[in-house]
Amino acid sequence: MKDNLQLKDVSTAEGQMVSIDLKDIPELPVDMHTMPWKPFTDEQKQNTACILDDVCVLNIPMPKNKEEEEELVNKFLNGMRKLFTKENNWTFLPMLETSMDYCAQCNSCSEACHLYEMSGRNEMYRPNFRSEIFRRIYKQYVKKEPLAKWRYGDIGLNWKTVARLGELAYRCNLCRRCAQTCPIGVDNALLAREIRKLFSQELGIYPRELHEKGTINQMKCGSSTGMTPEVVKENVEFIDEDYTEITGIGIHTPFDVQGADIMLLHNAGEVMAWPENIAAFSLIFQEAGLSWTLSSKALAYDGVNYGVFYDDAQTARIALQHMMAAKELGVKKIVIGECGHAHKALTVIADRVIPFEYQVPRESCYVTLHDIVMSGRLKLDPSRNNFPVTLHDPCNIVRLMGIVEPQREIVRKIAPLFREMPCHGVDNYCCGGGSGFAIMTRNNIEQWRGNISGRKKMWQISEAFKDCLGPETRKYICAPCSNCKGQIREVLEHNDLYTKNNFAYGGLVELIVNAMVNVNPGFIKFEGEEE
Amino acid sequence: MSTLFYILGYLAVAGFFCMAYLKIKSYLASSPLHVRWELYPVPHEGSKTVYGGSFMEEKDWWTKPRHIEHMGDVKALLTEVLFLHATFEHNLKLWVRTYPFHVGMYMLMGGTIVVLFSAIAQILGMNPQGGLMIFVGNIISACVLAGTLCIIVGGISLVMRRRADEGLRRYSTPEHYFNLLIFVLFGVLGLVAWASAPSYFELARTFMYNLITFNFAPQTNVLFAMHLLVGFFLLIWIPMTHMGHVFMKYFTYHDIRWGDEPTNYSTKNQQKIMDALKFNVTWSAEHIAGDGQPKTWVDVATTNPAAPKKED
Repeated sequence: MKDNLQLKDVSTAEGQMVSIDLKDIPELPVDMHTMPWKPFTDEQKQNTACILDDVCVLNIPMPKNKEEEEELVNKFLNGMRKLFTKENNWTFLPMLETSMDYCAQCNSCSEACHLYEMSGRNEMYRPNFRSEIFRRIYKQYVKKEPLAKWRYGDIGLNWKTVARLGELAYRCNLCRRCAQTCPIGVDNALLAREIRKLFSQELGIYPRELHEKGTINQMKCGSSTGMTPEVVKENVEFIDEDYTEITGIGIHTPFDVQGADIMLLHNAGEVMAWPENIAAFSLIFQEAGLSWTLSSKALAYDGVNYGVFYDDAQTARIALQHMMAAKELGVKKIVIGECGHAHKALTVIADRVIPFEYQVPRESCYVTLHDIVMSGRLKLDPSRNNFPVTLHDPCNIVRLMGIVEPQREIVRKIAPLFREMPCHGVDNYCCGGGSGFAIMTRNNIEQWRGNISGRKKMWQISEAFKDCLGPETRKYICAPCSNCKGQIREVLEHNDLYTKNNFAYGGLVELIVNAMVNVNPGFIKFEGEEE
Repeated sequence: MSTLFYILGYLAVAGFFCMAYLKIKSYLASSPLHVRWELYPVPHEGSKTVYGGSFMEEKDWWTKPRHIEHMGDVKALLTEVLFLHATFEHNLKLWVRTYPFHVGMYMLMGGTIVVLFSAIAQILGMNPQGGLMIFVGNIISACVLAGTLCIIVGGISLVMRRRADEGLRRYSTPEHYFNLLIFVLFGVLGLVAWASAPSYFELARTFMYNLITFNFAPQTNVLFAMHLLVGFFLLIWIPMTHMGHVFMKYFTYHDIRWGDEPTNYSTKNQQKIMDALKFNVTWSAEHIAGDGQPKTWVDVATTNPAAPKKED
């Protein structure tokens, strides 16, 4: 590890700038081992700018000559100039400018960041490290302020700075815990997103999982999973059949019901990876007697909006299609399923990027479910959930939308052994898969999630269950967000924590269905209970 | 020379307000609207604020009247300004150094306002040697003593922390040290002027009186004059640096962090969105404007870059 890392190293260091020493990574109460970094191959080193740390997300091609180096820098500077014009960036400019101008460099944000902490306090992972490089470039090369080097600090700008800064923007979960602690109101997570946006919207550089396989795929065939309307309807039919058998209740998931009260917008990843979540929603809504429907129009069966992680245009395009689908069905509201970033993108961000006349009211499923559960429309037996339960707070829904209590009230009502994690609610930590990491593959990103980004969440989970760790007691991690579930599943699997600690994970709706008295017992499956 | 001194005083005051105005104007003009980017807890949510909740916890919230507790915002801002609450909560080591520094400035700023009113009272005929003036003078003396000591101790402690803390040192530029040390100098000059003059209050009130009445009488105390000169510089310098957070914090908190107004409650914002969507976009990536033609945000949002390309 380069423990004396300086900001200027970003432009001067040769090769890989930093390597995280696995010995620096904190140990946890649960048996969560570290995963060795896979070294970059010679071919990768030769062809790809893997020059930041042990991870490489963007895969920027290595410039072949001086001209290509200059082209990268010039394109970057052009993008930076655009970022500071209201025509190109009216959406975020005021927040960007204040975050550029008023940071006092007090570093209060560092201790709030789980990546900084879990990397063994590596300098590169301070929320302010990338921000400060970005600020210095702006002041010195774009704004060209007099005495910029003296006032704001010198920084070298070359292709290495640009490539490393792009990668650095993807060493942040965008959870905004750092912004929450800033005494001045500076938002370093926003700066990470703005850098991502610059790379995407100007340079056309993005992680393929977010763009080609994400938003573009979604706009092409209807879902980032690749499912077309026909396939999704077919799959949901299968889910209905399977879970009718499992629950003992006939489940029918409606599609395209004109004039229904609610259009439910799932994350389509659930259809493929967690069908029990789809079934549980259908069962609850059906039993509660709601007027509801899914949409089979392209995009409206997949609430995913990866644009929110990297690109304003893609965000708006997808959000608009979601709204249009609901408009066409004539529903009274969209209820967003268990997907955190879909909540944030469609409810809050879309509120000011879509003309109001195209908007349909949006409600969190936590709120809808709270109304159902508290109104007594379901017959629930909490003793069916007589195992320790803890609740994960998805950043997008909790810290960034202030939806904190509805889900808690539900869990308190149906899970007698519920316990909070340390630092819960708006003080929560990201699962580690936030901002698109949960779906990324290649180049040590999996190791990075296990070693660093997901580690604090596992600390929280192990603290919540510290009185009952081990295989004897069944324990449920309630994580009502698709991305978060993906991240938690991965960490549990890699460390064999299902067996060692008898953990099960899942959403809120599964916990509700598990308590429904007219459903066959054992909807939630624990280790060794799989069919 | 004496006239120049007073002119500098006028320029400093005017400079502060002009710079602050320009900064705020630039912020307001930088965008006709920004996306909601709120961060919870938001303090105007009433009882929900305690745990960080929002109006979005309510079923069909858009059908209900918007309820904002402005007193919550005021209370949160005052708590932050008066006690530097966020620093206390998240960076205690910094707070013990920066709090005295800020309190010292508050004392001198508050003292300046009191002196201003004392000078106005004098103009209106109040006896400068009267009992009330003596009482006010004693308060100012105490404020200046405590305030300058706080600035000196806080300022030096902050410089030392920036040097001693490895993390902070990497991010500290010459300007950070300059800013802190110029405040320390301001404090030191104020302290020695206070100690050397029979009445600091007398000096300050007389200066203010002269400033208001355009009486450009020479300064009798060199140290006080130097103290004021540094103060003039700071007045202009503060808005030009990150220390402009003294007034921009209102916007970063109130407008951004707590800016949660849904569009259905604001016809003004509904129109602003329409205006913003007409802006021309010049981003170069292929998926934004692949054909190289200028587009508006509306064009961009209604384009599908994944749609099959049309045959010529």
